[in-house]
Amino acid sequence: MRLLARGQTTYSQKDKPAAGRCRQIRQRLADSMLQRLGPEAPWVQRHVARCPRCQKRLAALGKVDLALSILKSQPHRLDLLIRANTAAMRMLSHRLREAKEAAKLEQARPEPGLMERCARYRISATHLAACIAILFLTKAGIFSSFDKAHTRGSAALKQYYSTQAGEDVAREVFGA
Amino acid sequence: MFNKAVSYDLLWESAALEGVDESQRWILAGMRKHGHELITLLWRILGNEQDVCDAYQTTFLRLAHHEDGLKPRWVKAYLFRTASNAAISMLRQRIVERKALSSVMQTIEEAPDALIDVNVKHLTENLRYHVAQLPEHLRNVVMLRDFGELSYVEVARILGVSVGTARVYRCKAVQLLATWMNKEANQ
Repeated sequence: MRLLARGQTTYSQKDKPAAGRCRQIRQRLADSMLQRLGPEAPWVQRHVARCPRCQKRLAALGKVDLALSILKSQPHRLDLLIRANTAAMRMLSHRLREAKEAAKLEQARPEPGLMERCARYRISATHLAACIAILFLTKAGIFSSFDKAHTRGSAALKQYYSTQAGEDVAREVFGA
Repeated sequence: MFNKAVSYDLLWESAALEGVDESQRWILAGMRKHGHELITLLWRILGNEQDVCDAYQTTFLRLAHHEDGLKPRWVKAYLFRTASNAAISMLRQRIVERKALSSVMQTIEEAPDALIDVNVKHLTENLRYHVAQLPEHLRNVVMLRDFGELSYVEVARILGVSVGTARVYRCKAVQLLATWMNKEANQ
């Protein structure tokens, strides 16, 4: 039996599960908790249907959610970034204001991120990938069918020669 | 001899200026990188373009003068915290002028067609008003998470708390907001 020093555990570094695995388990736990104890759970729904106080509370929470969604959905004018950058630039030192980047910032418009920009090509890219996959599979299927036909044809001819002309001739023509 | 000394002085001065400017280029980089997110955050908190510009200007002014022009350890965190603080100060000033809302309520009675618009405006203004009243630790989380749309991980890093704490704070903040907004609606 191995003796452990103070502070040492039997749980070695090697045995430690990966951080990704921990995250997965945490996520699963959170999901199952939400399913069983969250507002969507059937017993909660049944209770809310009968309890006016909980109905009020849920309605109030919904109101906050709604207000937050409205705030998020309200767009600002496109030139707001330019205006704000110009205003902020006025407070910086003269040399910073004269820099090349400053000129670019004064004309900067809010641009979507790379993922958002690529989002519109996502469907086309998926279609293209599907086409390539189908083409690849078809090509692989055709060649495999050719191979199969060739093998079976050779076997049939060999069989024919062996029955008609004898085993030796067939072996001579088609090899061993 | 004197002329030479003057020219050396000028050279030294311009070199120093150049150095300061070079060392402050990160301000422009920060503006380019986080400007759009900051504008979104400020717009959602303030909902007024002029106020957004003012708060944005204040944020970068503070950044430029942070510890005599020294770059903060984490520019994004500094920017977001400064911007939300500046915005909340403005919002609080505006709350004083909140009495104007009562005149809006009168407008509801006068123009029933505009009922939905005014209700939406009232709801958002109400939310802003109550967010400004939240305790600081809860307010910071709501601002960064909901208005700034940062992930909980980023929010936690910026505020120096754990991710779980950030989630709990957000939950408490929403509950508090719901209670306050509901109370007002009942009155």
